[in-house]
Amino acid sequence: MNPVKSKTTLLTAAIALVPVLALTLGIPLANRVDPRIFGMPFLPAYIAFWILLTPPIMLAVYRLERRA
Amino acid sequence: MNAVIAIGVIATVLVLTFGLGIFGVRRVTMDPEQFIVGGRSFGAVFLWLLLAGEIYTSFAFLGAAGWAYGRGAPAFYILCYGTVAYILSYFLLPPIWRLARRHDLLTGPDFFVQQYGSRGLGALVALVGFVFLVPYVTLQLTGVQVLLGIAGYGALNSLGAVALAFALVVAFVFGTGLRGVAWASVVKDALVLIAVVFVGVALPIRFFGSPAAVVDHLLAKYPHWTTLTGDTSNNGVIWFVSTVVLTALGFFMWPQSAAAIYSAKSEETLRRNAIALPLYQLMFLFVYFAGYTALLVMPGLKGPAADQSFMLVIAKYYSPWLLGFVAAAGCLAGLVPASVQILAAASIVSKNVLGDMLGLAKSSEDQTRATRVLVLVVAFLAFMFWAFAKTTLVGLLLISYNGITQLFPGAVLSFARVRPSPAGVAAGIITGIVALAAFAFTGTTIVAGINIGVVALTVNFAVTFAVGYLVNVRVPALSPEGSSE
Repeated sequence: MNPVKSKTTLLTAAIALVPVLALTLGIPLANRVDPRIFGMPFLPAYIAFWILLTPPIMLAVYRLERRA
Repeated sequence: MNAVIAIGVIATVLVLTFGLGIFGVRRVTMDPEQFIVGGRSFGAVFLWLLLAGEIYTSFAFLGAAGWAYGRGAPAFYILCYGTVAYILSYFLLPPIWRLARRHDLLTGPDFFVQQYGSRGLGALVALVGFVFLVPYVTLQLTGVQVLLGIAGYGALNSLGAVALAFALVVAFVFGTGLRGVAWASVVKDALVLIAVVFVGVALPIRFFGSPAAVVDHLLAKYPHWTTLTGDTSNNGVIWFVSTVVLTALGFFMWPQSAAAIYSAKSEETLRRNAIALPLYQLMFLFVYFAGYTALLVMPGLKGPAADQSFMLVIAKYYSPWLLGFVAAAGCLAGLVPASVQILAAASIVSKNVLGDMLGLAKSSEDQTRATRVLVLVVAFLAFMFWAFAKTTLVGLLLISYNGITQLFPGAVLSFARVRPSPAGVAAGIITGIVALAAFAFTGTTIVAGINIGVVALTVNFAVTFAVGYLVNVRVPALSPEGSSE
């Protein structure tokens, strides 16, 4: 049924926690207008940056869980 | 004449889309397993569409722009919560899917019945899902009504139009079940994506030359519009963080999410979706730009009227053909998710309350029949809620989420090594909802800067722990985890 096993470890959970923290507790630190990035104010640019980063981070988690 | 063109375009698009949905299921026999979870055979693409359907709704289309227009930076919470929810889903959904596959679970409440061995708890969870789906369906209904009203250029009776739209959606759900809805989602997502990119790029360029220039104008006129103010009484930083956490935890507690999860072909499908879906969130940036443009071009809309912002701009400055196309995409964004939600609300009550708890609808024919009657009940309740409670689209979404997130403690603790007793989980859910009702009664949505949903959730967790672990002796689970592997 499930030929390749995935195993969540402390390491993979910690990696996944990074974007979660950035998009929750990190928000007060990014709550500003400048510097503007590609014309966007800093706060939405910061959020968009982490959204773009999340798939590669989760892909890394996926790969690591395969090997574990 | 303008109204005839715009409404004509909407009608054509709706008929073609629903036609595709009905065509897509023409050779599938409708037992409950097909009707509710699509025969558990959906691969990555179909599943993507169903899970993403949660995002591409009336709420995304109009509500997010409405908040960007009416409140500014608090609207950014929408970008964050979906992303956080998808990360959580990577870890949470595969075990839920395995359990559902092993025990042939059909609904979200079935999961609670399985994990806690209590049909009463399943019935309670079903009722909570049912009740808090009503404002969510109302949200979709309100979106459709706003769009039809604007596309009618004031000439259309919006009450009649909305009743018609709902009749359409009920007929569609009756005819096809979940599989047909997934087909309709294909068209919906494509059209909404095109419409959203258009309003987020073309509107700023037409009025200000570029999207970046919109921000310049916006910041010149409203310098604090893209940052959260320190004011804790209204949508400040603490509200933002608490709301992101609350909605991310509630994201997969919906009955329709359970249907989507169970319909997956494999747990790998779920993981791959969890990795890729955050990118879908970025389309909200376009919606915000549309909202900002509307704020600068047509200021002065207050309260729920802000939800109409960029559509009014299109109605005033563009051709009725274009208005019709954008409004059609928006109508689908309301009607397709509404179908999924109505179907989910109806099926949990028919299976977990009428069938399992009360023993009224035992055979699968009876349950399919009861589901269909309940579809009408949900549609009617949502209609009543629409007629009496007038709030913004985001306001409606937050009411729904405050309620549904109360299921999270029971869902997550069911994977704990020692589970709380079902009575504890039930007590937690009930206390959380009573707390929400008390806040609603006093008209409070924020306490000390914190979203009340988080306050209720905290109380819920505390009661679940107290009653679930301390008062009762723990009840062994119906079947130990991992026994059949």
